[in-house]
Amino acid sequence: MTSKIINMAEHMKDAQDRMLESMFASAPIADDGFSAQVIRRVRRKMMLRRLSLPVAALIGGVVAFKPFSTLVGIAHQLLLQMPDELVASAVASLPTVQLIVTGGLVLCAAIFSLSMLED
Amino acid sequence: MVAEDNQLVARVLASQDMAAFGELVRRHQSHVRNFLRKLSGDFTLADDLAQDCFMHAWEKLHTYSGRGSFIGWLLKVAYTTFLQSKRKSKRYAEILEAAGTQADVTEQTHVRQSEEVGDLERFLAVLTEEERAVIVMSYACGLSHREISEATSMPVGTVKSVIFRGKEKIRTSFDIKDHQYG
Repeated sequence: MTSKIINMAEHMKDAQDRMLESMFASAPIADDGFSAQVIRRVRRKMMLRRLSLPVAALIGGVVAFKPFSTLVGIAHQLLLQMPDELVASAVASLPTVQLIVTGGLVLCAAIFSLSMLED
Repeated sequence: MVAEDNQLVARVLASQDMAAFGELVRRHQSHVRNFLRKLSGDFTLADDLAQDCFMHAWEKLHTYSGRGSFIGWLLKVAYTTFLQSKRKSKRYAEILEAAGTQADVTEQTHVRQSEEVGDLERFLAVLTEEERAVIVMSYACGLSHREISEATSMPVGTVKSVIFRGKEKIRTSFDIKDHQYG
């Protein structure tokens, strides 16, 4: 009941209301490519977001490549200086190449799925 | 069959349907641009803000509960976008002032606007930003008091009193008598 009274009061317009309504009344603004521009911006933003993670990973990889290869070289030098039996036991305890590749693939798949989920 | 706003929103949320979002933009761009044009008094700025508003709407669409009207929610986003832009330009003006530079852009805008003002712009000029937003939502966009309340986060009673105060200001500032309303 109260809400009905409020709605009625809202619809009881005085002369000033009518004047303001007529002053504000205007023809609808023509689209003129506005919507298409908005959609283009949304598409661009979506694409940027989708690309940002792989691109960041690629840049990170490029930046890290040189220090990492240096690190591998140093490790190789150190390994050469180690006694043979110690190297053999250490190599045996290291994960195999297949395991590393599988782990890498799983990690990539997880990152890709997460980015898709986020989008 | 023409899809309702809520159906289109659901399609966008479910599958990021760009065609559905495009339809929503096409349907409501006129209201949003009109609202921002009346609020800012600058057509170019208003259209830029309207684009930003739809970008924000795309980002925040999941926050639309579907209870109120979609245009009410959209105008809330537009109003927030407008206020954020005002805050940014205020900060920019402060930085310019601190650097001892005059903000020529603002002056140019005022000059251009003063040449173009009509009765409506003169009426709106006597109102505060808040009153202008509420009056435009009410008279230009046809929103109910409840919808304006949701869009501006003001209680319904406050919306009514802001409208009343705005109308009183217009009445007294321009010495309008009741019989002049026609």
